[in-house]
Amino acid sequence: MTVESPDRHPSASGHPAQSPAIEITRLVKTFGDAVALDGVDLAVPQGSVFGFLGPNGAGKTTALRILTGLARPTAGEARILGANVSTASNVVRSRIGYLPDVPGFYPWMTAMELVEFAGRLFGIEPATLRERAASLLEMAGLSGVRTKVGGFSRGMKQRLGIAQALINAPSVLLLDEPTSALDPIGRREVLEMIASLRGRTTVFFSTHILADVERVCDTVAILDRGRVVVSAPIDELKRRAAVDRLVIEVGGDPTMLISELERRPWLRAISRGEGSLTLSVSDLTAAQHELPAAIAAAGLGLKRFEGAEVSLEDMFVELVRRAEA
Amino acid sequence: MSGFTTFLGKELTEIRKTWRIWVIPGMLVFFAITSPIIAQVTPALLGSMAKAQPGMVVKIPSPTWRDSYAQYLKSLSQMVLIAVVITGAGAVSGERSSGTAVLTLTKPVSRAAFVMAKIVSQAGLLVGATIVSTAVCVGLTIALFGSAPLSPLLMAVSIWTVDALLLIVVMTLFSAGFASRGASAGAGLAFWFLTLLISIWPPATRYSFVGLMSASGRALGPQPMEALWPVMTALVAGVLCAWGATKVFERQEL
Repeated sequence: MTVESPDRHPSASGHPAQSPAIEITRLVKTFGDAVALDGVDLAVPQGSVFGFLGPNGAGKTTALRILTGLARPTAGEARILGANVSTASNVVRSRIGYLPDVPGFYPWMTAMELVEFAGRLFGIEPATLRERAASLLEMAGLSGVRTKVGGFSRGMKQRLGIAQALINAPSVLLLDEPTSALDPIGRREVLEMIASLRGRTTVFFSTHILADVERVCDTVAILDRGRVVVSAPIDELKRRAAVDRLVIEVGGDPTMLISELERRPWLRAISRGEGSLTLSVSDLTAAQHELPAAIAAAGLGLKRFEGAEVSLEDMFVELVRRAEA
Repeated sequence: MSGFTTFLGKELTEIRKTWRIWVIPGMLVFFAITSPIIAQVTPALLGSMAKAQPGMVVKIPSPTWRDSYAQYLKSLSQMVLIAVVITGAGAVSGERSSGTAVLTLTKPVSRAAFVMAKIVSQAGLLVGATIVSTAVCVGLTIALFGSAPLSPLLMAVSIWTVDALLLIVVMTLFSAGFASRGASAGAGLAFWFLTLLISIWPPATRYSFVGLMSASGRALGPQPMEALWPVMTALVAGVLCAWGATKVFERQEL
């Protein structure tokens, strides 16, 4: 499943092609005393599929609302394709597609009417619009559906939301939890569609489904309590996290060794698996020096000593835990 | 106003395809049909009631076109204006609470265009339905009473239409300002009752839009009231309210 390539306009401010598609600088948003975004800095490379991760209440939806011009920042600024979203809102909106977390549609419209209405708001020519709407509804699995949108299931609404968000062949596609209401097949199709946009459209999507991010994203940012905890390509993040994590396998009962290791200042956490121990360490050099001696002192033999494979979930939990500490 | 024409088109289609086509136009046509009939049968009804009471003599003049028009205007001034308040309450707040405002306003559509399309579509519906229902009322009045001069009714209905249009704009302002449909409906009804209350004071009736209702009623009588001041102040108030609705909505976060 693929979608049409976006129109290639020059950037609104004449920025060179490789400037970030989305650039957020010291962005702050408060609601009374509550701080939703606390100095967020973020750069989303053009053409990337960017995962915006964070626990519930981290500020993901608030950031997306600011990017779409639905909310105003308290301080800082956000730019899409070089244009400030607060001052050039219509310029920005003509080049983005947006799917909110709970999309709202006119219940009396059919899917075709809704997608065509969305296209007319962008001023798309009728012939192009008809062709594009039919192709997007085909992609969304909604072609030939004559039921009014009011009778759609949540999954159908979500797919319709993605179709309408793509009607202007956007340069930047903003998706808020796009797969949360989909069944496994619908989810796979949407993820394939997102992956097919890589390199042509910048996709920025917030989600709490880590498997989705691991599957399609090349870069992620993790947001916690309104702050970006980390922002980097997934591969680099995994490499970075892997060096802080060691797996050892010893011959014999490791109970005494665990007690001994728990006294070491560099040990953050230790977990006992089947025949192995996984250690999270704060000082890798100290751990590499002291571990063999500690194993020998405990009267055990060292069978395996290596950096651990880290899943995005491990990384996410670890980074959020560190940020909260 | 970016996106105005497309969004207005959506509004007009929505009116045609949903319950909105039936409420105000339905009420107007209903009153246009029933008013001449009520005017015709009321004396006969009262007469039969008097016959049932021995010794009571009721002298009622024969009904005329004036009674038919007066009945029609009374219905417009009460029931239809309340319907305008109730239906207008959700104009903006309904789109906000259902999430459809987000769908539209994340496209290149200005908030001013959104608000103005709401006002224009409702105004168009009201004016169109009023023309049709007034024609029906005139036709039935001719059929039942033999004559129906046009100018007094046209004057009265035109003044009433200005009042109703002002109420549409005021309701759009409340709907943009209040979070819920209920709150804006409450504010609209309060506004309507307040204007009725203020209209007791003669200078307010003479020199402000609160006099529109009186001017409309008196247009059917032998001594019509001067309506220039009420109409002009209504136009000024309408422009200010439309501007206010746009500004209030532009400041809001969705």
